[in-house]
Amino acid sequence: MARHRRDDDVLGNRGLARFDFCIVGSGAGGGTAAHVLAAAGQNVLVLEAGPNPFPGLDDPSGLPLPLHSNDELKYSIRHFVQQDGFLEPRTFRGDAARAAAVNEDVNVLPKAVGGAFQHADAKTPRLNAVDFRLKSTMDALIAATPGLEVPGFNVEPANFADWPFTYADLEPFYVEAEQLYGVQGKQGDNLFESARSQPYPMPPGVPMYFALLLAEGARQPLPDYGPLHPHTYPAAINSRFYDGRPPCVDCGLCSGFGCPNNSKGSPAVTTLRRALLTGRCQLRFNAQACRLVNDGGHVSAAEYIDGAGIRQRVTADAFVLAASPIESARLCLLSPTPGGAVLGNSSGQLGQNLMFHSQSNVNGFLPRRVHGQRGRAVTHGISDFRGVEPGGEDIRLFTVSGTPRVFLGGICEFGAPQGQPISEDGAVYAIQLPAFRGFRARMGLPLKNALRDGALGQHLFGLTMQAEDAPQRTNLVDLDPTYRDVYGLPVPRITYKPHTYEMAARMFYLPLMKQIVRNAGAPADKVFVTPTDQQQGAAPSSRHIMGTLRMGTDPATSVTNAGGRFHDVDNLYACDGSVFPTSSGYNPTLTIIAVALKITHAIAGTAPETG
Amino acid sequence: MPTLKLPRALPGPAEPLAPPSPPALLLGRREFLKGLGALLAALAAPLTGMRRAYAAARGRFFTGHEFATLAALCDRVIPPDHDPGARALGAAHYIERMLTAFDHRVPLVFAGGPFSNRNPFPDNDDGTPSRRRPKNAFRHFIPPTRVQELRWRAELFGSAKVPGADFNDAVLGPLTGLRAIYRQSLRRVDKTARAMHGKAFVRLEPAEQDAVFALLDSGPASVRFAPDPRRGVTFIDLLVEHTLEGCFAAPEYGGNRRLGGWRMLGIEGDDQPLGYSIFSRAKGDYVERPDHPMSTPNPDEVAAPRPITPDAEKVQDTIIALTGIFAPD
Repeated sequence: MARHRRDDDVLGNRGLARFDFCIVGSGAGGGTAAHVLAAAGQNVLVLEAGPNPFPGLDDPSGLPLPLHSNDELKYSIRHFVQQDGFLEPRTFRGDAARAAAVNEDVNVLPKAVGGAFQHADAKTPRLNAVDFRLKSTMDALIAATPGLEVPGFNVEPANFADWPFTYADLEPFYVEAEQLYGVQGKQGDNLFESARSQPYPMPPGVPMYFALLLAEGARQPLPDYGPLHPHTYPAAINSRFYDGRPPCVDCGLCSGFGCPNNSKGSPAVTTLRRALLTGRCQLRFNAQACRLVNDGGHVSAAEYIDGAGIRQRVTADAFVLAASPIESARLCLLSPTPGGAVLGNSSGQLGQNLMFHSQSNVNGFLPRRVHGQRGRAVTHGISDFRGVEPGGEDIRLFTVSGTPRVFLGGICEFGAPQGQPISEDGAVYAIQLPAFRGFRARMGLPLKNALRDGALGQHLFGLTMQAEDAPQRTNLVDLDPTYRDVYGLPVPRITYKPHTYEMAARMFYLPLMKQIVRNAGAPADKVFVTPTDQQQGAAPSSRHIMGTLRMGTDPATSVTNAGGRFHDVDNLYACDGSVFPTSSGYNPTLTIIAVALKITHAIAGTAPETG
Repeated sequence: MPTLKLPRALPGPAEPLAPPSPPALLLGRREFLKGLGALLAALAAPLTGMRRAYAAARGRFFTGHEFATLAALCDRVIPPDHDPGARALGAAHYIERMLTAFDHRVPLVFAGGPFSNRNPFPDNDDGTPSRRRPKNAFRHFIPPTRVQELRWRAELFGSAKVPGADFNDAVLGPLTGLRAIYRQSLRRVDKTARAMHGKAFVRLEPAEQDAVFALLDSGPASVRFAPDPRRGVTFIDLLVEHTLEGCFAAPEYGGNRRLGGWRMLGIEGDDQPLGYSIFSRAKGDYVERPDHPMSTPNPDEVAAPRPITPDAEKVQDTIIALTGIFAPD
């Protein structure tokens, strides 16, 4: 993380002067793209806006250890790699009629070499087969089922669309993604998983105690529903020595933290490193892209602000956006065409269809300590509440009070706090908890006793459902007219309102989720539902983000084509979560990687490499 | 990880259990605070040009009296009993270290990585802890980038005093630096202590100190600390937060002396590179550490849960009652 001297902010081949591709972003999308393109003989430049926690990542003699550590202060409080709300604020409003205000909760993700995936506990489920054709499947189901009303489809229509390819088309790239990033999992464990052509590269690691309790709770038949099907959670975390990286030691500070021993298969230590070692890739970090120089249909250069604060310009034959949905769309918004239009926006939908996962949290307090500080954050979950049939090929039809219904929720993670006494415990007892009923463990022995007992940190456990968020044109990112970031650029403004589609699923599954937590051993009066972000008047707190540059076959209704190329810009591609037409109900990163593989293999004319 | 995102606290005296009217609940903290302009104006009195020649030494910010006052305040947040209090854990020292981060060639903001020397490497041949320990990399702080440095200078010295940090000040108002907030607020603590008890804060009995603390935190609007307009939190919020950091952050930041904070909580702290599960080549599978199990209950809770204090129960019940207002099902 050297500073000020521009030469210091480079990894890879410093001598490269001419680039076939310039990739904006070095995370799951950009790192993957750099790997495929460099391996195919292309000269690649990667621009990363954040700093480099991986000094020596380009060292051919071996993968060095990173600057990541088990340090709550550094990550959860001082934002070592997380986007900082002072430097780069974002604004939020619940609908377009309101004024937007600065909101530090708007999808703050890590901004550093290796991207946002390094902060995650690296959960990597695939989407279901039906997700890629949800719109047509639902339309057919509605036509065939008298009385079936589905919010988002035949009631209050949202902007659902089929993906421009199928699960079968993507499956070989899922396999390649799992092998490149090193995914642990157990084939056949999840009844709802769609067909796999290859087993997981590694078996699951050690289960966490509270996760076993919740899995047992989920196996007990629920009234009017039956038993559920808990499964081990696929994750890009080594459970064996794999790809020159060690097995995970379950150190606990996983979600929200970079991995100190490189056992998490994050983009930096997998694809990005491979790209850097080809000699055909140069990575410039602390390089904030701020404009694509264009003539309306072609991009000739990218401008960025370097680590010293100086504006630079770089040319390439083609450009790939992989800065995550908000920032990839923002870069287009910051790049007007000569005619004054937004680059790539002939569909009028650029920046729209912004999706977060609709998270539902049902938690309980377990009498025994859950010791969530030991483990890799999430080891188990259930996929029953995605609302599909086993195998994930079809939508599940329910009958509620004699009426046909569908409820497409999402995968549920079994979780507990990770042992963060300052930000998870102390801050809640002493600061976040209002002086409600005259009580808050503000100071003194009440605070000390609550901390020692781990009232929250050692006893909270429960389920987080990552439910599908309906795509809506009115949920969008544009440029805020008032606020600036440290680079002097207008900040992204998020306009977002949930749809009845996801709220209906939430209300259907909440009672079942509560029953699971009770069955797992939480006393009935110690189980509770966390209010939604909207109930709290807050911005979406989900860190899963999709849409804004959706892909499709019709240039009138999509921004990018099936190959990730902008319909109306001949050398501009998007290669991150922004191209997702729908959000499904599974953690998105493995699909981001698989889609990036599919897009870039097609560009390079190469086939997926699977062992 | 389950997010326990709580509804934003409405500042002020205790709220009744009955749901407050929806408009009040839907106000974000910042919007709510906008109504408090008059109070804020009272707090906005500028620092007079006091010059403190005695505070110039590297790593020192507070005068002896200020430091003693701060340490006493920290001790009201986490008081001593059979476990150490915040003073003994070095919380005030931590805070001074934070405020003087830029006195050092590499600012003391981000501790290094990947490992401290508090745990050995695993031995993957047989799945046991090895005898080898890493060197302590936490001690070697990481140089911040240009914008990270700008951000932390603004945090400490104020956005108006740092070139390039005032980019939203015209809309949001300047960010007041923590150094000014601490200096001003400690003076006000003493002023209040003298008004109430005729003595400086450090000379009061603990119970008297608690009374001053409570008044400054939740007393009448004319007396209590008002939220800082840009930060949205009061000095007491900052003090509590920084005290917790000083007790429970890694010791390389200046607090958590002799790891007493972590020991008090019964948590292990940073535990790389050993962790809790060790892959054994001999077994072809993982081995857990019997004293720190991962997949089974803690050794002392196998037969029955360890009871928790009424204070902890009350925290749990309050969280449940609060969330129930929003999600009444």
